[in-house]
Amino acid sequence: MKRIAILVALLALVGGGWYAWREYHRTAAPTSALEAAETMTAEALLKAYTEDENAANARFNGKVLLVTGTVREVKTPENGLVDVVLETGDPLAGVVCQFAQADVPATLTAGAPARIKGVATGLLMDVVLQRCASVE
Amino acid sequence: MTRHLSLSAALLLATAACAQERYATRTGHIAFQSETPLEKIEAHNHKATSVFDVTTMAFEMAVLMKGFEFEKALMQEHFNENYVESDKYPKATFKGKVTGITAEDLKQSGSKAVTVEGELTLHGVTKPVKATGTMGLEPGGAIRASGTFTVKPEDHAITIPGMVRDNIAKEIAVTVQVDLTKL
Repeated sequence: MKRIAILVALLALVGGGWYAWREYHRTAAPTSALEAAETMTAEALLKAYTEDENAANARFNGKVLLVTGTVREVKTPENGLVDVVLETGDPLAGVVCQFAQADVPATLTAGAPARIKGVATGLLMDVVLQRCASVE
Repeated sequence: MTRHLSLSAALLLATAACAQERYATRTGHIAFQSETPLEKIEAHNHKATSVFDVTTMAFEMAVLMKGFEFEKALMQEHFNENYVESDKYPKATFKGKVTGITAEDLKQSGSKAVTVEGELTLHGVTKPVKATGTMGLEPGGAIRASGTFTVKPEDHAITIPGMVRDNIAKEIAVTVQVDLTKL
């Protein structure tokens, strides 16, 4: 009986240690594999932030969004990152989708339709989505 | 309908009349690092907004707290949920003034040592900050500025639990680099 108790305690210790190690070293899951909390146009997303930023922060920040629209501009890679800016109808503000350079498909060019999943981080000059992935 | 204008968009509009005097970026890089014998923590944000007025030497930055990316997801979650409470305080801002360089210096290539003094608002608490760095005109016409400063979490009412206090530096080193283009 005592041996079984020791064995159970050891297993719990090893299991707990393995879980803690795995959790400590966990990296962010690829956005392409995550389900979007909401789907909307780039124009509607910017409008939501500019009309009531606090409400939009609470509703979107930290969540995966699927945003649709037209590509306004694809910016030159910098630090291995590429910004794909979606048209919003407002020349001063866009929805900026930050991609890892390797994740930007060749089809995402100015004027092309886009469906992009990304994690919303908030509004500065633009609404910013990070860890973006293009969706077919 | 109350239409919100972000700090930077407002500055863009307000400065339209004298745009040639102002430089700005939407892709500033801010990184911070905490290093202790127990753990090294580093995070990067490549989406800082900054506006610099060459005439007055006023320098402003804003950054989204959820935009800081860590190597480890757990650290990023703790940073946002437990430390900076980014749901409650989604942005950090800095407003200050650059000294050590003149508008004339910025008409020719080459960088100079500068000091930037101002106020940092982080976690809803505003404190004075002094950064040292360099600023100068790049061959392509952009103004490149880079600098470093330190932040004490407790100065901004950021509470570090006792269990991990030794894992996090008492002073967090912050580095900033911006390539500002003419508006």
